Amino acid sequence: MQRYEALVLTVPEITNDELKQMESQLDRLVTDAEGATLSFERWGKFKLTYPVRGNEYGVYCLMRFEAPGSLVKDMRDFFAVKLHNIAMRHLIACVNVDSLVYQRPKSLEEASTSRDVDTFLKENQMGGLLSSMGDKGKEVPQKEATKEPVSAKAEVLEEKEAAVSDTEQESADPSSLSELRRTGEEEQEDDASTTEQE
Amino acid sequence: MTKKIKLKISARLMKKRTRRASTTSSKQCRFCGNTELAVGIDYKNSGFLRSFLTERGKILPSRISGNCKRHQRGLAKEIRKARSMALLPYVAQYN
Repeated sequence: MQRYEALVLTVPEITNDELKQMESQLDRLVTDAEGATLSFERWGKFKLTYPVRGNEYGVYCLMRFEAPGSLVKDMRDFFAVKLHNIAMRHLIACVNVDSLVYQRPKSLEEASTSRDVDTFLKENQMGGLLSSMGDKGKEVPQKEATKEPVSAKAEVLEEKEAAVSDTEQESADPSSLSELRRTGEEEQEDDASTTEQE
Repeated sequence: MTKKIKLKISARLMKKRTRRASTTSSKQCRFCGNTELAVGIDYKNSGFLRSFLTERGKILPSRISGNCKRHQRGLAKEIRKARSMALLPYVAQYN
């Protein structure tokens, strides 16, 4: 009895029921050939390195089993015919190593979704950039502070321009001129009254 | 008959000899003698295999990676398996 493993790439829309059904079908196939299934593992959803059947994503499943060599051909046919709609790709390989321990890439479900810049730099051994990033963060408010006076000046200039334009408009109107004179007279009167009180 | 001895060496030959002498010693295969690392040559371990690809997705030659003939062959085989399962790219995507 040889030990085999079958890696199956299924469509991303696969449901848990379909997955269980596939597992039971494969298990039955192995047991019929007087073999035994060792494990069936769902790796999770992955982003594929190139689109397969128009799908950018896929779900990987790894099945390990012990069976005679004649089963391999039957299983390939089974994947090609019965599981054609579900399984996009499959690979059956011998497991020569005694231990069943292996390393696999992280799926999208396992990978942390909310990663800020600091954790990314720490993970990729770019801790030296952390201090420089911090300095940059400090510099930003300073730049804003330097910008503020410029904007204040601009506002003052705008106000002056507006005032000049208002006076020009007022000078054009004779009625506004008379109003100005009246207000000037009133101010003079107020000044005189204040001096008398003193 | 006395055999003629070549006393003079051409400048081109001198350069060639000095260049050969100045080169660094041959690279050591990292998998030879390190069984734990050699076990990592597996089509499922795509993260590790990715380090033996160029940025365009080509397999790195042993001239550069320093692998021996045996391990280079095994590595290339596993990379091809991983490519067929869409774990590794045939060609790196570029915009």
